[in-house]
Amino acid sequence: MFLQTLITGLSIGGIYSLMAVGYSLVFSVLNFSNFAHGAVIMLGAYVGLALATRFSLGLGLVLAGSVAGAGIIAVINERLAYSSLRRRKAPSLYLMISAMGCSVFLENMVYATIGSRFYAFPEFFGRQVVNLWGSSLSLLDLSAFLFSILAIWALHLFIGRTKTGIAIRAGVSDMTMCSLMGVDLDRLISVVFLLAGGFAGIAGVFLGIKYLVYPTMGWVTNKAYIAAVIGGLGSLPGALAGGLILGVVETFVSTYVSSVMRDVFSFSLLIAFLVMRPDGLFGRSGEEKV
Amino acid sequence: MRKIFASLCVMTLLAFAGSASGEGIIRIGHTVSLTGGASMWGQSEARALDMLVKKINDAGGVLGRQIEFVRYDNRNDGVESVNVARRLVTDGVVAVIGPAQSGNAIASAPVFERAQIPMVVTTATNPYVTIDQRTDAVRPFAFRPCFIDPFQGTVAARFAITDLEARKGAVLYDVGSDYGQWLARYFEEAFVAKGGEIVAREAFRTEELDYRAQLGKIKELAPDVIFIPTSQKEAAMAAKQARDLGIEAVLLGTDNWGSPDLIELGGSAIDGGYFVNLTDLADPDIQEFVEEYKAAFGEEPVLPNPVMAQDALLMIVDALTRAGSEDGEALAEALANISDLKVTSGVLTVDPADHNPLDKPAVIQQVDVPNATFKFVKKYVSVED
Amino acid sequence: MDYILSIVILGGINMVAVLGLSIFTGFTGLFSLGHAAFVAVGAYTSAILTYYYYVNYYLALAAGAVAAGAVSLIIGAPTLRAKLRSDYFAIAVLGFGEALRVLLENLEITNGARGLPGIDSFTTLPVVLTCLVGGVLVARNFLRSRWGAACIAIREDHVAAETAGVRLFRTRLLSLVVSAVYCGLSGGLLAHFLSFIQPQMFTLVQSTQLLAAVIAGGMGSLSGPLIASFVFIALPEALRVAQMWRLVAYGLLLVLIMVFRPQGLLGYSELSSLFRRGVVREGERRL
Repeated sequence: MFLQTLITGLSIGGIYSLMAVGYSLVFSVLNFSNFAHGAVIMLGAYVGLALATRFSLGLGLVLAGSVAGAGIIAVINERLAYSSLRRRKAPSLYLMISAMGCSVFLENMVYATIGSRFYAFPEFFGRQVVNLWGSSLSLLDLSAFLFSILAIWALHLFIGRTKTGIAIRAGVSDMTMCSLMGVDLDRLISVVFLLAGGFAGIAGVFLGIKYLVYPTMGWVTNKAYIAAVIGGLGSLPGALAGGLILGVVETFVSTYVSSVMRDVFSFSLLIAFLVMRPDGLFGRSGEEKV
Repeated sequence: MRKIFASLCVMTLLAFAGSASGEGIIRIGHTVSLTGGASMWGQSEARALDMLVKKINDAGGVLGRQIEFVRYDNRNDGVESVNVARRLVTDGVVAVIGPAQSGNAIASAPVFERAQIPMVVTTATNPYVTIDQRTDAVRPFAFRPCFIDPFQGTVAARFAITDLEARKGAVLYDVGSDYGQWLARYFEEAFVAKGGEIVAREAFRTEELDYRAQLGKIKELAPDVIFIPTSQKEAAMAAKQARDLGIEAVLLGTDNWGSPDLIELGGSAIDGGYFVNLTDLADPDIQEFVEEYKAAFGEEPVLPNPVMAQDALLMIVDALTRAGSEDGEALAEALANISDLKVTSGVLTVDPADHNPLDKPAVIQQVDVPNATFKFVKKYVSVED
Repeated sequence: MDYILSIVILGGINMVAVLGLSIFTGFTGLFSLGHAAFVAVGAYTSAILTYYYYVNYYLALAAGAVAAGAVSLIIGAPTLRAKLRSDYFAIAVLGFGEALRVLLENLEITNGARGLPGIDSFTTLPVVLTCLVGGVLVARNFLRSRWGAACIAIREDHVAAETAGVRLFRTRLLSLVVSAVYCGLSGGLLAHFLSFIQPQMFTLVQSTQLLAAVIAGGMGSLSGPLIASFVFIALPEALRVAQMWRLVAYGLLLVLIMVFRPQGLLGYSELSSLFRRGVVREGERRL
């Protein structure tokens, strides 16, 4: 049972990591909690669903489509809801409220227009299961896990090696200096949101395939916040580590302690980290500068 | 600024012009889930009721007046159900049909009781819909046309032991559901009474979709059957995850499985699962209704709600006729004494002691994914079958 | 008439909670996404007292409010002390709210996630009005006092305030406890009006609705959020708007306000000042 719990935990954790990466990316550059991230994940799932069912596309195209779709949605979201606030140098409180508003708006728009019915993706992976020393690992989970790791690694390379990546790292350090150095801030931030949205799209599709597609599926991002905090807000390896750790620990709590009280544990963990180690495991120092 | 404020005030006040209640019309409330996870049943209920009320009105209505429905969407939500209940009370309805879910019905019951308006639920099967849990007394204004969960749980257990030859059973239920919690209990009691052994009892939070931790534990104990008294989407998820984990036990469910999207959501994993239901498309008693529905709407009714809703309407009409008035107490009295009334699902007699119908049968259905349908397996007529 | 009465009562109950959040977010400048949790504590405490133990209604209301205040210390003490950034605090409070809800869903005495039906409906219009009027008076006096000035100082510039001698942690904690007490009172009133409470009634959505009223009404104003909260309750009911569109409107409103008019309806000013002929202090109209 230990191995099975570990496997289940890692597969849940992989999804948490995907969600946390997008969220952490935006946080590291813009310094605010993008509460609308969950809604973008949800929209990515719906886009993927439409591609899979309406147009009967295969998994690869569905993923590509929802990455693009969610990315674009995220950029539009930024342009409409955040950019004017950012230019005015509004306090992050205002950005957060705006994000909250976007989230509520998008979720309920979907609920009111598409409806609250639950939808399922076609079975891309069939019922194939891999057997590991008595524990089962579904092909879906394995693929999702590997893909997530690959995607995060690709992002890591992008940020480390390309010109845009360096610009992003500069922006994380100091936005003003960055623009003084000639970087087009608006475009840079759009790129960041595009990336964050892309990851949201992947997360949305995998969530949709694993479970179901419905308007409030974005609420699972609460766990993404916890994962990002544990790993360290603003750190990409942190988001990956935080997600996996949270997934594994949660599943162990669920199996060996109590499945219904699991969330009390997760949120207590969040509060504990925020109070005792706000920088998480890998984060940069987050104290407000005077 | 001032102008905006003033006009807001005026708008708000003006908008409260209430609608006058019409004379010569009998208004019956309908609280139903038109959106939300239970919407397939709810939409079907609404259609069946409209179909039947047209026939009744064309034949002269009741007490010489036409019947009109006042229908609100309770979205399968407890709080919204209470809101709907209060709205119906203000709208001056003489009786209410619905809700279909036990939790929503239990929440709405006190509102109707205070207003002395009889509530006839459609498929709410928890005993505490008609009995107040705090005082153990029957609720004077709550009624139902369907069987209750002690029976449903017992039927499931008997089917598991006798037909599925199960010796070890496990239960997975929603901790936030009146329906699920009690059904789990009734199943366990009956299963053990017949010589079975319950090896695992796992719960999950409402709205949670990942049960792999719970199923992982269940897998270790190797039950023959897993009882899952949940709604269709949770059953679908549980089935998928159970199969992914390599669990081969038979999956057994209850009437909340019976929405057609169970097959779409559960896919091949849910194929072959069994569940208890109130009625089946092949049931000879309801063939006339099924044909009429298909002719009017071009598709099959989503059972059992539309049948139960029609039963509820017929119960109310009968009570109105025998009481001769709209008075709440007189109606309740008449409803409690219904005897041998011909309804859509057969013949109905109400037990005045607990307001539950006597001898309602249950059926077992099996999920047939390749044909996208629910196959009839067996019928249980009474507890002692 | 009955229907209008129930709208007015619901509006009044909401206004009490918004009053509390206004003190915390509008006047002390701390963003909270978890105040629905305090409403829940007040609701459940008072409901359990009257439902199981037949305690006097007014005592139960008071107990609910006090309980909410006490519970707020649990989350306030560790998080307001550490030099937690506003984002982090908001997430912590959100997490706390969610954890509290899970707890409520699992305790026997709260009847778990199925909710507690059949609560006696003791809340009437006079009760609500008394609470509201009393609440406004207390709030006004609080804000005009030394403590209130300290809160406002923290909102404007917490570093400068601390330098000037304001005890940051204590003031913030006091502000939180006061706001929680208001929310708890509101919860008690709500439970005995709806006669039914369920943990799902007290989620992030409800916290957002409270926040929307404070923002739309204007931070730094008492009357603004009161007006906004009443309109938010009354208008959709009057127009018989479905719940989901109501939330769509909330969300859109929040974004629009932040982008175009962050000071909301009456930011930094009161209703009474609308009627006074005077020079509007331009300095207060900053972002």
